[in-house]
Amino acid sequence: MQWAILSGIEGNLAAYEAVLKDLRQLRQLVTELYVLGDVVGLQGKTEGDNEAVIRRLRFPGAGELKPQVCVGWWEEQCFSLHGMSGLPDAPELMAAVGGDGVKAMWESVSRKSVQWLRSQHFGFHEFDCLLIHGSMAGYADELTPETPAIELCDRLIRADANHLFCGRSGRTFECWVTPAQLHSTVTTLDGPQPTQDQSKSPRRIIGVGSVGRNPGEATYTLYSPGSNQLSFRSVNYKKANYRPAKREKAKGFIPR
Amino acid sequence: MKLAVISCIHGNIEALDAVLADIDTQKAEEIYCLGDLVGYGPYPNEVVEKIRSRGIPSCQGCWDEDIVDGLNACECSYPSQLAEYRGHLAHEWTDKEIHPEVREYLATLPITLKKDNLCFVHGSPNSQHEYLLPSMDGFAALERVLATDADVLFCGHTHVPYERKLENAALSVKVNAVESSETEQQFQVPLKRIINAGSVGEPRHGRPNATYIIYDTDAAQVTLREVEYDYEKTCQAIIDKGLPPIFAWRLAKGMEFAELADDPTHVCER
Repeated sequence: MQWAILSGIEGNLAAYEAVLKDLRQLRQLVTELYVLGDVVGLQGKTEGDNEAVIRRLRFPGAGELKPQVCVGWWEEQCFSLHGMSGLPDAPELMAAVGGDGVKAMWESVSRKSVQWLRSQHFGFHEFDCLLIHGSMAGYADELTPETPAIELCDRLIRADANHLFCGRSGRTFECWVTPAQLHSTVTTLDGPQPTQDQSKSPRRIIGVGSVGRNPGEATYTLYSPGSNQLSFRSVNYKKANYRPAKREKAKGFIPR
Repeated sequence: MKLAVISCIHGNIEALDAVLADIDTQKAEEIYCLGDLVGYGPYPNEVVEKIRSRGIPSCQGCWDEDIVDGLNACECSYPSQLAEYRGHLAHEWTDKEIHPEVREYLATLPITLKKDNLCFVHGSPNSQHEYLLPSMDGFAALERVLATDADVLFCGHTHVPYERKLENAALSVKVNAVESSETEQQFQVPLKRIINAGSVGEPRHGRPNATYIIYDTDAAQVTLREVEYDYEKTCQAIIDKGLPPIFAWRLAKGMEFAELADDPTHVCER
């Protein structure tokens, strides 16, 4: 069993096609394909690319895996723009990309597609893994190797998982967090309660990379739940007018 | 210096007066309030006036927020569906009763107050609706304190007072990243505390007495205070003013009498 875990296509159809091609060329068969949000965005070469990416996800080709998609930051912005969330008028999107960016998003994703995105998952709990865009603290929660250790620890506790796969940062990394010890004493009106000494086994947070955010280079993650083996893939592709070419190279990185 | 920290007064002026009198006997130099001045109880305007007239700095509680912004909490911020139903009844009554200037004052309350190495919040640093229960995972509890850059985090919201010491915490993080070589770091965290001030006006520790805390900043010592008062007067006012009688009954018992939430740490984002 091997999972391919992607995030951050951001409307970059060429990058997504490059990753699909890389998946086909792997020696070990991929059995599940997860897309951890940010399917849409502003990385497409044409206005139609967001819709094209959504079509590609909804209707995979013959013999291709059907991707399991959860929502990300860009999808949440679409929900806000279309009045499908508690926060109207997408202030986060406006702050991030300005009025032109908001207009581009509004014009490049149809309401029907936004409704489809709205029906996608919040995240996936599989075995002892949580696969999610940000974290259980929210879709905008950006976990990186620089995030304070206690915050990483908190996110793993909230995830109730040994392996937390996330995509918000767009980076590929693996952080093993070991909460080694903690002495806790509670006193109530009834007096001191029995003290608790806590420790937990090592758990990890995995940044799965970004398919479309960095033009010319797509990154994603392969994971085998049976062996806990993890590898990061990097796929170079031609930036504009994607055509499969011989000089495109893929390389893998297996964390030690 | 002695500080008094009060929380969750919930429109109970009898309880507030009794607690303020008790604080005077304890010779506390400053008083901090962790919000929820209104809701459930029969005297929301009077409680706010008293807090303002005494110049007591206060955080905004979840009830204060809801009275300002409209009822925006979903069922997951209540301990149970029954509690949610009762909460909605209390919200409607308070919303009608409250004076415009009181509503304006509640809107000005900050989410967080800080004094030196002390931080004051209603629920948690994340949200006025998050419950920091004493049974919460220790590392998660520690994260809430560290998020504030304080050594002591004062909170309320659960209506049951406690002090929790978090000591000798140690974590390690090993990072593998494509762009850099493997690194490993060890982290030690010195003593941190979470102190829950309980509830002045709607206690849930099993007795009807008001609760609050005294904190000695020099000795870093906490005293959980329990104050008797004429709760039957408040119960009668609840009934006389047309609030659901169940609020009087549970105030007399000092209990919520409803099942706990599956995940009290869950933060509603609706």
